[in-house]
Amino acid sequence: MPAESTPPAADDELLEAMARQLGLPPGSVRADQRLADLVPSSFSLVELLIELQEQHGIRLVQDDLRALVTAGDLAALVRSKQR
Amino acid sequence: MIDENLLWLLSSYRTSEISGALFFGQLARRLKPGAIQMDMTAHFADEAQHARYWTDCIAELGAQPLKLDASYQDKYLAAAGLPANLMEILAITQVFEKRVIRQYASHVSVPGLLPEIARTFDRILQDEKWHVRWVGDALQSLAADYGADEIARTLDRYREADEAVYRATLEEHQQRLAALDWTRR
Repeated sequence: MPAESTPPAADDELLEAMARQLGLPPGSVRADQRLADLVPSSFSLVELLIELQEQHGIRLVQDDLRALVTAGDLAALVRSKQR
Repeated sequence: MIDENLLWLLSSYRTSEISGALFFGQLARRLKPGAIQMDMTAHFADEAQHARYWTDCIAELGAQPLKLDASYQDKYLAAAGLPANLMEILAITQVFEKRVIRQYASHVSVPGLLPEIARTFDRILQDEKWHVRWVGDALQSLAADYGADEIARTLDRYREADEAVYRATLEEHQQRLAALDWTRR
């Protein structure tokens, strides 16, 4: 068992949810993709954040967003809030 | 035919209303059913109507709207940072709607306002006042969840951003408004 194992299934599920919400084909959102390249505008990113919070019953605050660069960062953030 | 400054201003109002309608429409689709979702649905319908009113107004004045790249809201988000949750969205909306009312009121006060434009402002301003009211009520309803202090801090943060955007961005609006006002020359 690796020392730092990640739950890929959970992340994959979140990446798939992001693809759906952004209207992208299944499997098209990768963890290393920059959010700035995935969302067409700031408004779209806010909409994605709200959708994730509504779906997962979590709450994000503006400080949470400062370190967000990639889709993987966002998936990890959602996962950490679910704990 | 209307002059370039007036066409730019009316087109910017139209662009801003379209951006608001699309944003709140998408949000209303994503929120769980409830009072906030209901009011947000009415809000985005209003904004869509306002965009239509400005489009009609520009047509009545014998022109076509300009295609402007960025709405005022885009610049707002860049200056204030992205709202991360529903309360922050409502707080930035509250501050933004008050700014819109002030901006529209300053245009209404320009001497020689064309009747087509005056009628459009009349139709829109009542709705804008309701937007401020429902968003204020919604923020109050979220106080138990987010804390009244946190809501007050968030509103303060967005008011500061609003002032910065106003100074940087709406200066152009003011200059174009001043250009419409022959009495200021």
